[in-house]
Amino acid sequence: MRELISPMAQMLKSREISSVELTEKYISAIEQDNKKYNAYVSTTFEKAIENAKNADDMLSRGEGNLLTGIPMTLKDNICSDGDLTTCASKILTGFRPYYDSTVWSKLKAQGAVMLGKTNMDEFAMGSTSETSYYGAPLNPRNVEHVTGGSSGGGAAAVCANLAPYALGSDTGGSVRQPASFCGIVGLKPTYGAVSRYGLIAYGSSLDQIGVLANSVKDSAIVFDTISGVDENDQTSVDFDFGSIADSLDEMDVKGLKIGIAKEYFEGINDEMKSAILDAVKLFEDNGAEIIDISLPVLKQALPVYYIIACAEASSNLGRYDGIRYGYRPESFNDVEEMILKTRTEGFGDEVKRRIMLGTYVLSSGYYDAYYKKACLLRENLIADFDEIFNTCDVLIAPTAPNTAFPLNFSGASPVDMYLSDIATVPINITGVPAISVPVKNDSNSLPIGMQIIGKKFSEKTIMQCAYFFEKNAETDIEEFKGGVVL
Amino acid sequence: MIEKEEVLKLANLARLEFSEEELGRIMKDMDDIIAFADTINNSVEGDAEKIRNVSSSATPAEEFREDIVKESLPNEKILSNVNASKGMFCVKGGI
Amino acid sequence: MSYKLVCGIETHIELATKTKIFCSCTTQFGGEPNTHCCPVCTGQPGALPILNRRVIEYAVRAGLAVHCDINNNSHMDRKNYVYPDLPKAYQISQFDEPVCINGYVELDSGKKIRIERIHIEEDAGKLVHDGGFTYVDYNRGGVPLIEIVSMADIESPEEAREYAEKLQLIMRNVGVSDCKMQEGSMRCDVNVSLHKEGEPWGTRTEIKNINSLSNIVRAMELEMERQEDLLDSGERVIQSTMRYDANSDTVYVLRSKENADDYRYFPEPDILRFYISPESVEEIRSTLPELPDAKLKRYISMGLPENNARLIYKYRNVTRFFDEAVEKGASAGNVLNMIIGTIYATLQTEEDKENFNIKTTSSQLAELVKLIDEKKIRANKAKDVLSQMLESGNDVSEYIKAEDLQGLSDDDLRALCQGAVDANPKAVEDIKNGKDKAINVMFGFVMKNSRGKADVKKAEEIIREIIANM
Ligand SMILES: [Mg+2]
Ligand SMILES: [Zn+2]
Repeated sequence: MRELISPMAQMLKSREISSVELTEKYISAIEQDNKKYNAYVSTTFEKAIENAKNADDMLSRGEGNLLTGIPMTLKDNICSDGDLTTCASKILTGFRPYYDSTVWSKLKAQGAVMLGKTNMDEFAMGSTSETSYYGAPLNPRNVEHVTGGSSGGGAAAVCANLAPYALGSDTGGSVRQPASFCGIVGLKPTYGAVSRYGLIAYGSSLDQIGVLANSVKDSAIVFDTISGVDENDQTSVDFDFGSIADSLDEMDVKGLKIGIAKEYFEGINDEMKSAILDAVKLFEDNGAEIIDISLPVLKQALPVYYIIACAEASSNLGRYDGIRYGYRPESFNDVEEMILKTRTEGFGDEVKRRIMLGTYVLSSGYYDAYYKKACLLRENLIADFDEIFNTCDVLIAPTAPNTAFPLNFSGASPVDMYLSDIATVPINITGVPAISVPVKNDSNSLPIGMQIIGKKFSEKTIMQCAYFFEKNAETDIEEFKGGVVL
Repeated sequence: MIEKEEVLKLANLARLEFSEEELGRIMKDMDDIIAFADTINNSVEGDAEKIRNVSSSATPAEEFREDIVKESLPNEKILSNVNASKGMFCVKGGI
Repeated sequence: MSYKLVCGIETHIELATKTKIFCSCTTQFGGEPNTHCCPVCTGQPGALPILNRRVIEYAVRAGLAVHCDINNNSHMDRKNYVYPDLPKAYQISQFDEPVCINGYVELDSGKKIRIERIHIEEDAGKLVHDGGFTYVDYNRGGVPLIEIVSMADIESPEEAREYAEKLQLIMRNVGVSDCKMQEGSMRCDVNVSLHKEGEPWGTRTEIKNINSLSNIVRAMELEMERQEDLLDSGERVIQSTMRYDANSDTVYVLRSKENADDYRYFPEPDILRFYISPESVEEIRSTLPELPDAKLKRYISMGLPENNARLIYKYRNVTRFFDEAVEKGASAGNVLNMIIGTIYATLQTEEDKENFNIKTTSSQLAELVKLIDEKKIRANKAKDVLSQMLESGNDVSEYIKAEDLQGLSDDDLRALCQGAVDANPKAVEDIKNGKDKAINVMFGFVMKNSRGKADVKKAEEIIREIIANM
C-alpha cells in the first residue's frame, strides 16, 4: 500500500509545498467529495488553516516531527477544544467540549492540522456507521456498501484521500473492521497504550483510540506520536515502545511463530478463508512456523463483549440529561420530565437498545447471571490468550467474517449485526493489540482484511509483521483515485 | 420472555420512555439479545465469586495522584454548553 | 415504653484534602458557584477520574482511629442513579471492598458501637430552587467523603448522639476532617426501627442528612413517637426516607422505598484497583495522635479534676497548647485554670475553641504560670497579666519589666545587702552590740530598693554574713 506521511513530510520539509497549501488541497477535496461519502460530520477548516500556519512556522524553524503540517481528522467522539464533538448523536447536538483530548494535544503539539470530525455509529454503537444521526457514510470502494463501523467516516475519509490519516476508536472492532471494509490499515493498540482522556466513553474497559491510515508505516508514525502514559488517564500505561516507525523492517520472519485458531475460520466463506490462508502462506514461505491452535473460548467472546460493553455503556450514557450540555427538549414541566424527554428524544434506537440491555444485566437479580459471569469468562479468555502467546508470537485471523455489507442490509436483526463482530471483539476483551491490513478483493471487488494479533504491548511485533506482508504480498486492491493525490 | 413490567422498570432506571409500539419492538429485541447473552450460561467453568480476585494486579496506593491543587476552569467555560444563569446550570421547573 | 429501639447510623464526612477526590480542583468551602470546577467534576464527556492518594490515606487514618481492619486490596465501584446534582449519573463509591471494615466506637459507658465499614466516595453538587427554576452548582461535586456505617447497636437517641459526637471528636483529632455539621462536612443518616421485646426487628426508616448533634436526638425522638403511634394503632411502618425539619421541629416522609432503588453497582473501569501495603498502614498508625478519650484519662490520672479536664479534652488545639505548656515546666493545674478561667473568656463558641486562634504561645503561658508556681505572682495578678498578653501578644517579660515581677538574682540581692550595710553604719554598730532589732532597718532598705521582691530570709543570711566578715 501507499506510504503517504513520509513523502508528504519530505515535501513539507523541503518546502516543495507548504502546510497551508497542502491543507487547502484537502479542504477543496472535502468540499467537493464529502457529499459523495458523508465521511465528515463537521469540518474545522478555519482551525486547519491556523494549525497549518503554525506548522509552517515550526517547519521553518526545523521543529516538529513527520506529522508536522500534515492534515488529519478525529472521529466525532474525540474531544477538541471548541470544536463540535457529537458522537454522531442528536443528544450531543451543538456540543463543543472546552478541553482537548490527550491524543489531539499530542498531535497539535507536533503541528498536526485538523480538518474536522468524522462520521460514526451513534456513540460508536454499531458495525456499519448507519446508526449515525447524520446518516451513514458510504464506502468509497463501492458507495452502495457500508464503510463498516463504528469509525466508518474516518475509514471513508482516509480511503477516499480526504485525509492522510484518521483517529478512530475501537471498542469491539470499530477501527479494524471499517479499515478492512474500506481496504486500508487499521490499528487497535493495547488497552492502556494510548490515553483515553477526551474520548467520549462507550465501554470504558474496552475503548481504545486507534489509527486509520493508508499504510502500516503511516500507522506506526501516528502511533509513535499518540502513545504513552498520561496523567489524565489512570488506565494508561508507561511502556517504552521505542520508535516503531523506524524499526518496521527489523524483523526476521524466519522462525516467527504464527498461531492459527480454527475457531476463527468457522462460519466465514471459502473465498475469505482462502484469502487469509494464502496470506499466511506468504509468511510460511519465508520461514515462519505455523501453529494450529484451538481457542474454544472465542465462541463466548461475543456475548461476553455485548454484556460488558452494554453494562458500561448504560452507566457511561447516564450523564446525557440535558442539564450541562447537548440537546434539551422544547417543553417540559420539571427537571425530571426534561431529563426523560432529553434522553427519549436524543438517543437513537440502537443506543437505547444497548442502554436497556446494560441496565438489565446490571440490575439486581440478573447481575450474577450476566455481568458477573461475563467478567469471569473475560478472565478466562485473558488467561487463554496469555497461554497462546507463550507459544505463538502472533495470531493471524480474518478481521471480519464478511466484506462490506450492502447499505440498509435488509433483514439484519440486532443479533445478526452483533455476530459480525465475532472476530474483532476478543481483542478488546483481552486488551491485546491487533492491526488489520488489506489482503485482496473478494469477487465483488470489496476488500478483505486480515488481523495480526499480538500479546499486550507487542505493537512493534504486529506492525513489523504487517509491514512485511504489505511489502511482499501482491494485491488487487487498487489505490484510490479521487481526493488529494500528490 | 421478558415481562413488560420488567422492561418498564428498566426504562425507568435508564430514564427512557417507549411508546406502546416501541415497547413491543424493544421487548422482542431484548428477548433475542438476552437469549444470545444466555449462551454464556451454558458454558461457565470456575467460581463466579472469584471475579474480582483474579482480575489484574492492584496498583500501590502511593502511586496515585498527589494532592496538589491546580487551577479550576473559568465559570464561563464550565457553563459554555448550556443555558445558564447566576453562574449556574439552570433548568426551568422544579425537581 | 414497651418498644425497643434498633438504630444504626451512616455518617458522611468530608475529608480535609486540598483537592477533590478525582480531579485537582480545590475543595475549599464556598466560592462563587461553579468556579471550583473542571471537565472531570462536571462530568464532561470524555473526562476521566484520577484518584487522589491522600483520600486513601485519610480513610485508612480514620479507620485506624476507630479500630478498623484495613483491606489491603480495594477498588472503586459505580453506584448508578440519576439526579441533577450528580453530573455523571453515577457516584464513584465502594461496594464490596471498602478501605476499612470491623471497627468500633466506645461510649463513656464502656459500650461499643460496632462499625461495619468505612468506604470512600465523592460528594454531589448542590441544587438551588428559586423562582420556578432549578440551578446547579458543582463546586462541592467531587469533594472526597468517607461514609462510616455503624452496626445497629444503638439503643437510645442519647447513645446515637454520643456515638456521633465521639466520631466527630475522633475524626477532628486525627485531622481527616473538620466535621462541621452546620457546614455539612459531617452529615448523619439515622436508621430507626422499633420492636417489642422478644419479637423480630421492625421495619426501619432512615432520617437523612441530620446536621447537628442535638437534631439527632430530636429527630429520633419524633420518629420514634411517630412509629409508636403507628404500631399502637395496629398500622404498619413503611420503609421510607425521612427528613427532619428543625424550623417546624417535625419529621416527614421524603419518599417511600416500596419500589427500592436499584443502584446497579459494578467495578469502576476507569480507576485501577489499589493496594494498601501493611507497611504503609503501620506507618499511618504510627502517626496517629492520642485520641480524646485517652487524653481525658491521662488528664485525670495527672490529678486534674475530671469536670475541668472535660472542658478541654475535645479540642485538638487546646490540648496541644495545654500539653506543651505543661511540658515546659508549668504546673498542669495552673495551666488548666488559666485556660478555662482566662483564655476561654475570649473563645465563645465551639468553633473558636476548635480553631484556638490566640496571640499567646504555650511558652509564654508556661513562663507566666511558672511565676505563679514559684509564688512570685499571685494567681489573680497573673490572670490580669494573661488578659493583657492575650490582647497584645507580648511576652511575659514585657509585663515583668513594667510591673517588675522578676525575682532578684543572688548577685543583685548580695549587692543590695551590701548597699544596706554600707548605708547604715549605725545599725551595723547596734547589731554588733547585740541590738539585733536594728537589722530591720537593713531589711527596710533591701525591700524598698528591690520593690518588695527580695526574699527576706535570704537577705538576713547575707547581711549577717557581711557583718560577720567585717
Ligand atoms: Mg454514600
Ligand atoms: Zn474538578
